Amino acid sequence: MALINVAAREIHCKIVYYGPGLCGKTTNLKYIHSAVPGHARGDLLSIATETERTLFFDFLPLDLGQVHGFQTRFHLYTVPGQVLYERTRVAVLNGADGVVFVADSQQTKLREDIISLQELARNIQAEGKKFLEFPLVLQYNKRDVPNALPIEQLDHYLNSSIKVPRFEAVASKGVGVFDTLKAISKLVISKL
Amino acid sequence: MDPQLTSLVVSQAETSHIEDTLERLVAETGANYSMLLDKSGQVIAASGDTDRQDITALGALLAGTFASSREVARLLKEKDFRVLFQQGVRENIFTELISEQWMLVVMFDKRTHIGLVKVLSKRATDELASILERVKLESRAKDQIISTNFRTSVEDTIDLLFKD
Ligand SMILES: Nc1nc2c(ncn2[C@@H]2O[C@H](COP(=O)(O)OP(=O)(O)OP(=O)(O)O)[C@@H](O)[C@H]2O)c(=O)[nH]1
Ligand SMILES: [Mg+2]
Repeated sequence: MALINVAAREIHCKIVYYGPGLCGKTTNLKYIHSAVPGHARGDLLSIATETERTLFFDFLPLDLGQVHGFQTRFHLYTVPGQVLYERTRVAVLNGADGVVFVADSQQTKLREDIISLQELARNIQAEGKKFLEFPLVLQYNKRDVPNALPIEQLDHYLNSSIKVPRFEAVASKGVGVFDTLKAISKLVISKL
Repeated sequence: MDPQLTSLVVSQAETSHIEDTLERLVAETGANYSMLLDKSGQVIAASGDTDRQDITALGALLAGTFASSREVARLLKEKDFRVLFQQGVRENIFTELISEQWMLVVMFDKRTHIGLVKVLSKRATDELASILERVKLESRAKDQIISTNFRTSVEDTIDLLFKD
């Protein structure tokens, strides 16, 4: 739930990157951190295992500066995607205003994508929110890999019932990362 | 909490109530710092040493720790862990849940007794709970703040900043 502090004239929103293990959630945040202007970005905080898998979350605060007298901030988080960390994902998702679901385009990962998206729906509903009304965008990541599934198939399996905005991406090269971020942040602001 | 409520609007008056409560807690316990967090990790108000760095990251981490302990409680079929205590060499952190939705954090060193922190935090969380209850009710009237103009300007800023 967004926080609007009238005295300090601040608005804070929380956006969570969700998706199966190794789909590229952390890579999205790293790219945003590297490419956003210095005055707008805070430090990227990563709680990861020795092998760079997310253990708890990554956290990146972004500051849009003054808009109509309000300091507007987005707090970006990633969840740990490994199956093992299901309850940790629930903890990180807590109070999110919007979610980017990062799907791995590799044909071998489709099953994991589907399971993870279903889990997300359950977890949003468990917070008492309506999944179909919740601010959500999809990112089909790793479009560069040779075994990437065609977009139509990903649409069919992941987006045919929810019909949310979706973006193709190669997060490791930054392709599509900002399109995704723009879409989710605008969606979140529209629901404030 | 109404899950469909998309934002919490804290007015000037309520912010100063909250700050008064935190200030009093810090003064009476001799703690170094105190803050009020919401469950998504955002810092609603803080009081104490002014030179603290990284408050934003601290809020995110402490809220994450609390949320993860809530999941531990669920697995243990415990109702909740209302309180978390982290003991350091120089500083300790005491965190208490307020109405399942917010957290009161107190940071203190060896000059302060944990017993005192517990007792006075309990009083502070009761006060904060009733202030926050009011904040929630008032949050429905937020239209003066989030105007169409505001939304348009935020969108323009987003386009300006979020690009390669
Ligand atoms: N080829 C290719 N590799 C990518 C792309 N995006 C990310 N990767 C790689 O995929 C691997 C995993 O990326 P991460 O961002 O750490 O994945 P994650 O989703 O955070 O994984 P967990 O933290 O375990 O949930 C890394 O080696 C990245 O470099 C992409 O678009 N194309
Ligand atoms: Mg990761």
